[in-house]
Amino acid sequence: MGKATVIPFGPQHPVLPEPLHLDLVVEDEKVLEAIPQIGFVHRGLEKLVETRDYNQFIYVAERICGICAFGHSMGYAETVERLMGVQIPPRAEVLRAIWHELSRIHSHVLWMGLAADAFGFESLFMHCWRLRERVLDVFEKTTGGRVIFSVVKVGGVVRDIDEGQFAEMKRVLEGIKSDYRQICNAFLKDASVKNRTVGVGYLSREDALELSMVGPFARASNVNNDARMLRNGGYAYLEGFEPILDDQGDCYARVKVRALEVLQSIDIIEELISKVPQGEIAVPVKGSPADGAESSNVVEQPRGECYYYARGNGTKFLDRMRMRTPTSQNLAGMVKALEGCDLADVNMIVLTIDPCISCTER
Amino acid sequence: MALQTEYLVTALENIEPMARERKADGWRFVQMMAVNTEDGIDLIYSFMKDGVLQNNKIEHVRKDDAVPSISGEFLEAFVFENEVHDLFGVDIRDIAIDFGGNFYALAQPEPMTVISPAQKAAREKARAAAIAKAERAQKAAAANAAYVADHPGAKAKRAGGVIVPSDDGVEEKLKGMDPEKVARVRAAMAAKAKRAAAEQEARKQAELEEKLAGMDPEKAAKVRAAMEAKKARAGADAKEGE
Repeated sequence: MGKATVIPFGPQHPVLPEPLHLDLVVEDEKVLEAIPQIGFVHRGLEKLVETRDYNQFIYVAERICGICAFGHSMGYAETVERLMGVQIPPRAEVLRAIWHELSRIHSHVLWMGLAADAFGFESLFMHCWRLRERVLDVFEKTTGGRVIFSVVKVGGVVRDIDEGQFAEMKRVLEGIKSDYRQICNAFLKDASVKNRTVGVGYLSREDALELSMVGPFARASNVNNDARMLRNGGYAYLEGFEPILDDQGDCYARVKVRALEVLQSIDIIEELISKVPQGEIAVPVKGSPADGAESSNVVEQPRGECYYYARGNGTKFLDRMRMRTPTSQNLAGMVKALEGCDLADVNMIVLTIDPCISCTER
Repeated sequence: MALQTEYLVTALENIEPMARERKADGWRFVQMMAVNTEDGIDLIYSFMKDGVLQNNKIEHVRKDDAVPSISGEFLEAFVFENEVHDLFGVDIRDIAIDFGGNFYALAQPEPMTVISPAQKAAREKARAAAIAKAERAQKAAAANAAYVADHPGAKAKRAGGVIVPSDDGVEEKLKGMDPEKVARVRAAMAAKAKRAAAEQEARKQAELEEKLAGMDPEKAAKVRAAMEAKKARAGADAKEGE
């Protein structure tokens, strides 16, 4: 039995694309306890709501994160629309859902590349990111942007997708699907992937429920709290929706849930394309939110449920805009999953919660 | 199952019982946040169950109030409690993982409690506009009541806050009268209508001046110039018509 030692992990670490610090209390090679710390890059974006009116702030909301950019602009717009009692056209709702699912594909494939890089499977990393470029091409053709799209506004969307673009989108997604199945095969069946992930960073369903986990991290522990189940906005047009769940609760299960969600998102997009209603893509929004009016909303971002809250003060500036991102909610679960793991597995476990520090430090 | 949202108000001393109750009833903790107001800080605790998003608000918390932590019931709340402590200066006690004010690396303490000049100006403007609107509504209601009191038999309707007397039945009455008297009545009615129109115009002008006085002088000058130009155009059109 060795003596307990504290090993600092991060904020600068090869496996971390963003600054997150962990104090790892280890004994021999076992992690006894992990204490997380964030706060190195806090930007104060929520404060900016005081100097940007509710139409301008959408561009700030979108810049919270480069991966969930679309989800944040959509979540913000939906919350302000609730605040002002605006009903957007059905076509805009479906277009938003299509772009949001494309964002999920791009986010998950990006994460899978990072995971492959973390367990030393370089060629798999490159294949993932190659595939992601094709999703970004779809974004560029339909919105004009590859990362920041600026396509959502309060009251609807600013760009429509025509039939030709929908046909092209379907063709690209079909192409991605066949290539992606090969990548999926490597992720789910390759022995080198399983060696690094199976049985690592286990989190039981009870713990996941106890710690109010969200997103694929929770779904890999068989906790069903996917906000898409609420069928808000464009998701109401789906015939049915069943989240991808797994009961293994380890790193492999988290890889598996995300891998299968990519295929599910492609199916959702194809179904929504076949059901896009005709009509307007936006309604004019005039006036200001009433003094003291409040609204709240949840959106299923690629990393999990994101909570939005807005409060009006009778002017075009909001009194408060709040985004609670999935990573801040999952930090407690990450601490739990790290307890008792091997020191060498810490990076893999941290990665499988898909931490987004820029989201967390708005 | 569509999302339903609820907003409840709770007292500061009920935070711990509320957390215990929500935990026992199977609610999932969603988030905790603060809103800076002029009367103190509002804390909002959100929970979710079966598609219901419940926001529990504790209003007007002062900086010297000791707020109990709920991280004993919901460990995941430690992130938000440290955040609220660092950004808003709320004194939250017994956080499960307490960073003691070092959770965020900040350039200034409690940055979210600073009210920016832009926000202050916007709030004052909104407050003044609301007061002016209420006063206008009160004046219009008083004028309406006075008119109805002075003319018990008259039917009156409001148009733009000004009472316009109804001429229902007047023409019928005039039919059986002496023509000279009819002419006098008509002249009196025309003069009254003219006076009412002039009063309305003067009221509008006063309201406009009040608005312009509250505006940025440069913007006010632009508005005046535009109005003058419009008036000049209207005058020119009238001359052409003649």
